[in-house]
Parts: sequence; C-alpha cells; structure tokens
Amino acid sequence: MNKELTRKQHLDLYYYMRLTRAVEDTMTKLFRQNKIVGGLYSSLGQEAVSVATAYALEKKDWLAPMVRNIGALLVKGVPPRDVFMQHMAKYDSPTKGKDGTSHFGDLDNLHIVSPISMLGDLIPVMTGVAMGGRYLGQKIVTMTWIGDGGSSTGVFHEGLNFAAVQKAPFVLILENNLWAYSTPVKRQVPLQNLADRAKAYGISNYIVDGNDAVAVYSVAKEAVDRARAGDGPILIEAKTFRRLGHAQHDPAEYVPKEMRAYWEARDPILLYEKFLAAEKLLDAKGKKEIDDKIDALLATEREFAENSPMPPPAFADTGVYCTGDDCHKIRPNWVRPISEVTPPRSSVAPVWTVEGFGQGKSSSSGNAPIHFGDTPATEEATRDAQPLPRVPPKAGAKKLAKAAGAASKSAAGRKVRR
Amino acid sequence: MTMSATQTAPTAVTFLEAIRQAMFEEMERDPAVVLLGEDVGVYGGAFKTSEGLLERFGWERVIDTPISESAIIGAACGMSYVGLRPICEMQFIDFIVCAFNQITNFVAKGHYLWNAPAPMVIRGPSGGGVHGGPFHSANPEMYFVHTPGLKVIYPSTPYDAKGLLKSAVRDNNPVLFFEHKFLYRRIKEELPTGDYTVPIGKAVVRREGRHLTILSYAAMMHTSLEAADALAKEGIEAEVIDLRTLLPLDEETILRSVKKTNKCLVVHEDTRTGGIAGEIAAILCEKAFGDLDGPLLRVTSLDTPVPYAPTLEEAFLPNAQKVFTAAKELARY
Amino acid sequence: MAVDIVMPQMGESIFEGTITKWLKKPGDKVERDEPLFEISTDKVDAEIPSPSAGVLKEIKIGEGQTVPIQTVVGVIDAAGSAAAAPAPAKPAAPVVAPPPPPAAAPLPKPATVPAPAAAPAAAAPAASKDGGRIHSSPLVRRMAKEHGIDLSAMSGTGAGGRISKQDIEAVISGASQPAAPAAPSMPPPAAAPGVSGSQAHVALESAVPREKMYFGHYEVQPMSVMRQRIAEHMVASKRVSAHVYSVDEIDMTKVATLRAKSKDEFEKRYETKLTFMPFFVKAAVAGLRAYPTLNASLDGTNVVLHKEINIGIAVALDWGLIVPVVKNADEKNLLGIQRNLNDLAERARSKKLKPEEVQEGTFSITNPGVFGGLFGLPVISQPNVGILGLGAIEKRPVVVEDAIAIRSMCYVTLSYDHRVVDGAIAHQFLHKVKETLENWSEAAL
Repeated sequence: MNKELTRKQHLDLYYYMRLTRAVEDTMTKLFRQNKIVGGLYSSLGQEAVSVATAYALEKKDWLAPMVRNIGALLVKGVPPRDVFMQHMAKYDSPTKGKDGTSHFGDLDNLHIVSPISMLGDLIPVMTGVAMGGRYLGQKIVTMTWIGDGGSSTGVFHEGLNFAAVQKAPFVLILENNLWAYSTPVKRQVPLQNLADRAKAYGISNYIVDGNDAVAVYSVAKEAVDRARAGDGPILIEAKTFRRLGHAQHDPAEYVPKEMRAYWEARDPILLYEKFLAAEKLLDAKGKKEIDDKIDALLATEREFAENSPMPPPAFADTGVYCTGDDCHKIRPNWVRPISEVTPPRSSVAPVWTVEGFGQGKSSSSGNAPIHFGDTPATEEATRDAQPLPRVPPKAGAKKLAKAAGAASKSAAGRKVRR
Repeated sequence: MTMSATQTAPTAVTFLEAIRQAMFEEMERDPAVVLLGEDVGVYGGAFKTSEGLLERFGWERVIDTPISESAIIGAACGMSYVGLRPICEMQFIDFIVCAFNQITNFVAKGHYLWNAPAPMVIRGPSGGGVHGGPFHSANPEMYFVHTPGLKVIYPSTPYDAKGLLKSAVRDNNPVLFFEHKFLYRRIKEELPTGDYTVPIGKAVVRREGRHLTILSYAAMMHTSLEAADALAKEGIEAEVIDLRTLLPLDEETILRSVKKTNKCLVVHEDTRTGGIAGEIAAILCEKAFGDLDGPLLRVTSLDTPVPYAPTLEEAFLPNAQKVFTAAKELARY
Repeated sequence: MAVDIVMPQMGESIFEGTITKWLKKPGDKVERDEPLFEISTDKVDAEIPSPSAGVLKEIKIGEGQTVPIQTVVGVIDAAGSAAAAPAPAKPAAPVVAPPPPPAAAPLPKPATVPAPAAAPAAAAPAASKDGGRIHSSPLVRRMAKEHGIDLSAMSGTGAGGRISKQDIEAVISGASQPAAPAAPSMPPPAAAPGVSGSQAHVALESAVPREKMYFGHYEVQPMSVMRQRIAEHMVASKRVSAHVYSVDEIDMTKVATLRAKSKDEFEKRYETKLTFMPFFVKAAVAGLRAYPTLNASLDGTNVVLHKEINIGIAVALDWGLIVPVVKNADEKNLLGIQRNLNDLAERARSKKLKPEEVQEGTFSITNPGVFGGLFGLPVISQPNVGILGLGAIEKRPVVVEDAIAIRSMCYVTLSYDHRVVDGAIAHQFLHKVKETLENWSEAAL
C-alpha cells in the first residue's frame, strides 16, 4: 500500500499542509479583525486528509471541496488570495462576493466544483461529472469529501448508489473526524467503521489513518488509479479528529479534554516533520526556507486581498441567468470520436444471464432465481458468494431428447410385439 | 412507433409524439445531449415519450437510473459542468420535489453564485384530470417560478411543445418543462418539417377579442378557448392568451392586451393560493392600474390536494362552465 | 493615520461582545496581529489581534463593558510604514439593528365593529346592491380626471350601477364644456384650498377624539362617495363663505290661488305638473336681475359677475342630495322652467343627470319647507354667494289692512356671503322676490 514518494513529492505534501494551516491561521486573524464576515471553518488537525488526497489527482481530474478542504483547493492551484477574498466577500474574489467560504469553483481551468451548504449533494454531482467525462472519453477521475455527519443524508445514499451502479470513476473521501458539530460519531451512525457502508453499494473501500500524510496519499493514489481503470467508485474512510469547534464561534467544550490531548499529540504536521527528519528529507534550514516562503507569500496575498474593494450594491441584481456573453461558455471537450458513443458501437440488447438460477437459498423447496442481471458481479461480492453453477441446458433440448427416446422405445416395443 | 429519420411525418402528431420528436432531433443534432431518467431506456419511458431513443442513441446517452431523483438531478448537473446538455425525466412531475434541494440550491444558484450555469432540462408529465389522485396529478410550477435562476415552461400545443423543448435544450440555463399529461394523446397537430424553435419567455394570443382578456396555460388553455366560444355566442369577445412560459413571464403581451380590453381573468389548474394568478394581479396593479375597468378575477383549482374520485376531482378542477361564468360576470361588470 | 479597532462578530448570531481585558495601554507600541484585547461573547471567548502596527492611541471602551459588534472600541495611531495598514474595511456584516422604537400607541379600536374609514379616499368599486354607492373603476377615474368630468354627478350602467368605461366614453364624446372653472385671473389664495367642485377634498375631521363616539351599542355605516362629497362641501362652504342670514315672509296667496285654479288644465295641456317652484325661480330671477351682486362668485379678491342666470335647485334623493341647474332661467318662461325642473328632478332621482347639468349654477334655491318646518338657514352652494331657502307654505293669520286675514304665508331665508354681499343688497333682493311673488300677475302664467 505504501507507494514510494519522491523527495519532491514529500516536500510538496509538507509545503501544502503548512500552507493550509498558515492560510487558516491568517483567516482566523482576519475574522477577529472583522474583515471576514459570517462564519469561518477550520481544518486544524485534518490538513493531511485534504492535501494528500487531492495530491493524488492529475491536472485534468475534478474535485469539489467542502468547507474543511481548503488544503485541497491549494493543491489544485487556487492562490491563497482567492481563498482570502472569498472569505472577505471581495469584488475580486472568484464569486465576486456573491458567496463566501469555500463556495467557489472553476469549470474551465482548475476543474473545481463549488459546494453548497447542504451536505452530500456533491456526491451525485461529482458522479455526474465523472459520467460526463467518461462519456466524452476524457478518462478523468472525480473526487469529493464528506464528513461522518454528512454521510447520514439521503442524498449521500442516492448519489453513491447511482455512482456504484454506473461504475463511475469517482473517489469519495469520508473524513471521519469524530464530531459533527456537537454530535459525536456514535450518535451519528451505528457503525464503528463508516467504510463498511461501501458494502451496501458493492464498491471497494479503504480505511486509513487520516493524520498520516504518506498513508493517505498512498491509499488515495491507488484508489484514483483503480477508478480511472474502470473499477467503479471507491470509498476511503480517513480517521482523523476535528481539533477546533465546528466554526469560529464554537469553543467545542463538549469534546472531552483527554480526547483533545490525544489527538493534539498526533498532529499531522508534527508527525510528518518527525518522519521527514528521520528520513533525512528535511532539515532545520529547509524548514526555515519553507517558513519564510509561506510568510512572504501570505503577506502579499493578504495585502492584495485586503485592498480589494467590496462589490458595489448594484451588482446584487445581476447574473441570475446565463444570457450569452456574460457567462461560462459551455463546450464539451471531446477526446474520443463521437461514433464511439452511438450505436452500433454503443448499443444494448437486453441480456438475460441466469447466473445462480436455481441455486439461491429460499423459503420454498424449489429452486429460486437470485439474480437476473446484465452486469458481471464485482470482485468483492463474488469473493463470498457460492461458486457459480453451470448453466443448465436449454429446456427445449431436453424435450427433444425425451421424444427421441420415447419414439425409439415405442419402435422397439412394436418390434417386440410383432 | 419508431423514428426512422429526422424528418417529421407530415400527418398530425400527438402532443406526446411532438415531445419525443423534439428529444430525438436534439440528440441527433448535438451529441452533447443525453437523457436520464427512470425507465426511459429499455421501456421507452412510462408514457413512451422516449420510445426508440435507446435503440438509436445507445446506453451511454439514454441512461436508465435508479429511483433517486436527487441523484438524477445532481448527476445531470455534474454532467452539465463538463459541457453536456442533459435532459432529466421525472417519471411523474410529482416526484420532482424529491430533488427540490438539488434543483433550488445547486442547479438554480450556480450561475449567480459562481458562474456555473447548468444547461439542463428537467421534464415530466404533470397535471390532473386523469384520475391520477394526489400524487400523480401535480402542478408544482410555482415552487420553481419562485426560484430565481430557473426557467419554467408549460406548453399547450404540440407545436409549442416541440419548439419549446428544443429551445429549452439549447438554453444555457436550467429549464423546467412541464408536459400536461391530459394533453398527451388528446390533442394532435400537424407540425412543420425541418428544425424550428419557439422562443422561451413569449406568450401568444390564441384568440383576439376586446371585452376581456383571459390568461391561461397548458390544459386550461383549451378549456379557456372552449369558454371563449360560448361567450362569443352571447356577444362577449374574449381575448385568450396562452402564457406558455411562466418564468420569465411575458409581461409585455399581457399588458398590451389588458390595456386594450381593460379586464383580466386568469385561469390555471394550479391551486388558488400562490398560483401565478396572484402574481399577475400584482403586476397588473403595479403597471396597469389606470387601465383596469374591472376586478382581476381568477378561476383555479381548490386549495386542496388533488382528490381521487372523479366527482371530487371535477369539483376540484376548473372547467369551461366555471370559466364561462366568471368571464361573463367580468364582462358585464 | 488613525485606525479603528472594532468589536468583531464572532458568529452569525452574535450581536455584542464584552471586553474582558486590554492587553495594551494607550501609548504602547503594537505590531500587526499582536494580541490587543480579550473579549467574551455568548458563544466563545477570544483574543483579538491588532488590525495594524503602530501605537495604541486611545481606548474607547473599557474592561467589563459590553458593546454591539462593529463598535469602535479603540484607536491606533498607525505607523506610516511600508506594511501600510490598510484602511479599516467597511464591515459588510449586517449592522445590528437598534432595538425597535416603542410602537406608536395604536388608535383604540371600537369593540365589535370594524373601524370606519376615516379618510375620504375614493371608494374601491364594490358591487353593492343597496344602491347607495357610486363606484367606477381605476380606468374610469383616470379618464374622468383626464377629461375633467365629475363622476359624482354621473350615472352608470355597469354592475350595481357603477360607471363603466362605456358610460364615461359616452359622456366624453357628448360633453360640451370642460367642467373646470375658467383659469382665474389671479392665483387662488394660498391659505384656503380652493373649494372647486369635484376637486375639493377636505379631510373630514372629528371635533372630539374618535373613541368617544363608540360606546354601548351602535352600528357603523360607511359613507357613500356622494355623502362624503356633500360633507366635504358643506364644511368647506361654511369655512370659506361668511354666512349671514336674512329672513322674510311672503304672502303667497295670489300665487297659490292662481296655481290651484290652473294646475289641472296646465297639467293636461303641457303634460307636466305645476308646482310652486317655478314661481320662486322667476321671482329669484327678478331679484338677481335687479341685484346682480348675488349672481356672482368670488375669486380671491375678484368678484366674478355671471352674465347667465343659472339657478340650481336642490333635489332631495333617497341616498343624498344633488343640485341640478336650470340654465338661463331668465330666458325661460314659467312653463319652460317648470318643464326643466321636472325633467331634472326626475332624472336626478333615476341617476341620469349629465355632468353639465349639475355645473355652472350661479344661484341656488332649496326647499326645506316641503318637509315641514317654518324656515331654514341653508348653506351656500359654492361657488355661489347666495342661496334662497323656502319654508313651508301654510295658512296663517296675518294683518291685512288692519284686519286679521288668513293668508298662505311662506318664510324665505336668504343665506348670503357677506364677503361679497352686504345686508342692504341682501334685503333689497329679498324684497324684490317678495314683491314679485305677492304681485304675481295672472298673465305671467
């Protein structure tokens, strides 16, 4: 499971994790200076999950962050100034102030889909992106995140079920940070491991230590590769912990002190620094360089963001509809010839395989069919199933044999009588 | 009935067939157009509106989905982000509210918030009068007329159905397209050969008159015309306008007519409270108050769920007699 | 450069914060983002970093004080350094609303019945069956305004008798004179709003607080438009004109005898009833000819002496009062006047009067005596300066040539506007009227 990372890759992961934390730190200050309005969310302690999973994607792949996946946005290429300006509702922000936090996207270049506040809705949407990309021949993988809390929504089920039945190239990272606002995970779900839900959809799943950046990356990379190869959607449960409250206003006093202390000692950046030092990949000088680089970057980014104006009031009444020039140009990027998606190449005739016919356990004594299908069972499902019986010969053939036998019998009979 | 070519047959076609032709021709014209829905592929759709499409376009473009309205709409939204133009079918439009969150929060707001228009069509059979009961007779248009970012279409003739569905597919905004199931096989019309579209957001005068204006749409449009004929026998000339698009509403055509006749009656099968008649009355008060020579009346369904028994449903729905009575009262005011 | 330090909003539903501790004092140097003070809110306590580098100049809100969010709690004198402190961003968060002002004491409502409409707004058309309302529609009102037509004088053929588009269109196409008075040579006095026909809309006010009217059992009847107009007109007339009253007594015996003798034949011949009114009209005409000041209007300080003599006759209706006008009464003979009167009265009662028939009166006559009563003190119908009120004609003992005789007597009152008409003229006018009636020649019939 542990894929080999190059030194550059290690340092990239470390850099992005540090950058994530620094960006969120800066935003906390901005929030307390009343420059960020509304709410502010933090992914303190979960940086490895966002950064290492997003790092496994290719440039052409799509992702959709939730509010605690700023790290993924930074890895995808979003400059920190955009993150600041989004939160500060500035006119130069990606949404020009019309939405805040991580609610922004970029269809054309970075391939980021904006989330909405309702949890789980990204799952069918990213399934659709995956299906659409496949249709166009693009061989993309799509990725999004969901929390332990968000996995309780109905649309989580609908979306993942649909992705599974369509074998969409989609990777879902389930960040189990043990708290959904003030609800501990044991009040949220009746499972020890949320990854067990994958079984309900017949899809592969992984469980990984979310604070171990290298492990997260390895698992994510494998999942992305498999999805791209056509294995269908994959669920990764990353075990981690939400170190701060639900948002800035929440001091999270409901979290037991011992729990907090345990996870603070397992801070992902701290762990990674120890690992990098042990592997001699990063020394004090290198660390200082990274510190300075981040400080300098954020100083300019922050300045730019603070100096950007607020959107003018008249702007509120614009942009409800896409009317020609003022909106994103909708152009599908065909990577395979169109003839491949039209019949006869892409036709379907009803298929009536009767695998398992007559072999299923049922309440009646007779043989009951367990599965009429046209899709081969997935690897996981067949591992535990009975060995497939031979397809019984066609009923018609049997009849013929009988008749022939009967005829010969009577012929013999007649012969005997004469 | 399978389509062999893209040209329409010269004989009159039903409302349903016009819709099927529209989808067929759009999918022929543009490979980015795909269709998703329950039973749309192998079965050809619960009402056979997509019969023959799977055979022609293949399983990658005509997708049979699980019973998951949120997933259908959400996936279509995602597909539209990579440049496809999906058509989603709700098996009965009543089930569209199972995807209410996806439609109102993802699909409708995308362009305004983050410059991500969703060029998709959500269509399905709506309306009552077919003994469908409370969950198969819905007219949910106003939930969506109340959602900025969407467009809502509700045609009444085969010509309009085909032309408007084509416009909807080609529109870069999300469009809800309601097909009144009562009209599916009951009305026929000869359609022109070749490609044509009907513009979204434009009403049309179906019958000219000078004594009062009747605004209507979908099945009630035909009811209104029936009533207008009866009114004409009494010397009352009603001008009947088919709204066709509910959002954006064609205020210009409505105002022009009411300035001429000075009296307005709105007929809709939607329930009374919150129906578009209230919206139109407000617009007329704002913009044509000095032209009103009579109160703004409306004939609508009752404020109840759609009842099942035919006698109850008849009491629930508007009909030509109710429209006639109201129009006559208004004309004589 | 001064930089404000504000109380931040720590959550969407948080509207105030308490300063628990200042970590710096005025005069201290601070770096940007250095912790500056600590706050406590409903949800969370926090350490607030400084928005800028510089020197803490002033603390405005001290420890322990609670203030709304966005409040400026202190000021920093920012260093003019390279890392220029940006101007404090105008907070975009919704400013916390001040507590709503105490609701204005609502007008006490009557116990059971809905409050009557106080303002004389034009009533919305309501198809009322009681025949008491005049209603039209926004379209008709607009057209009436554009063409200067007085709707209160019109009749309608629409539902419930309302004035419909067809009705007003008919009037517009048939109308001769514009209803509005000719442009005055002087602008009307600014103080008194012009009481000018249908444009007068003086608010009807109560002399006592409204609630004093509602006690015990009662029934509320909203006023019809006509009633409101009458009310407005009366009040305005009393306010504008200096009403003075002169009373005289007229011996109507000669007229009464003549009338009694001729009325049957008159009716048969001319197919119209003969009443006392035309006699009074002719007498009034005589008086007005002699004393034209009473046939005038007052515009500011200009007296407008009318050349035509158009006598308005008050007609009592079931639902109100209207004053149709006998035009050019001086050019008509008794028959002409009588016919005109009967026709106007009948059409007044059936609501078929045309607008011009209630306009351009120069003097008025009212007949309260027909309902009994000695005499009345009528209100002048603006913009006239005089109105003649007729009492009942009844037999009374009077002194004639030093003997008591029974004569048909009638009290008449002249209400006149003392701004224009003095007592001398008024009395002389009355005398002329009296003289005309008491010496009525048979030939004049």
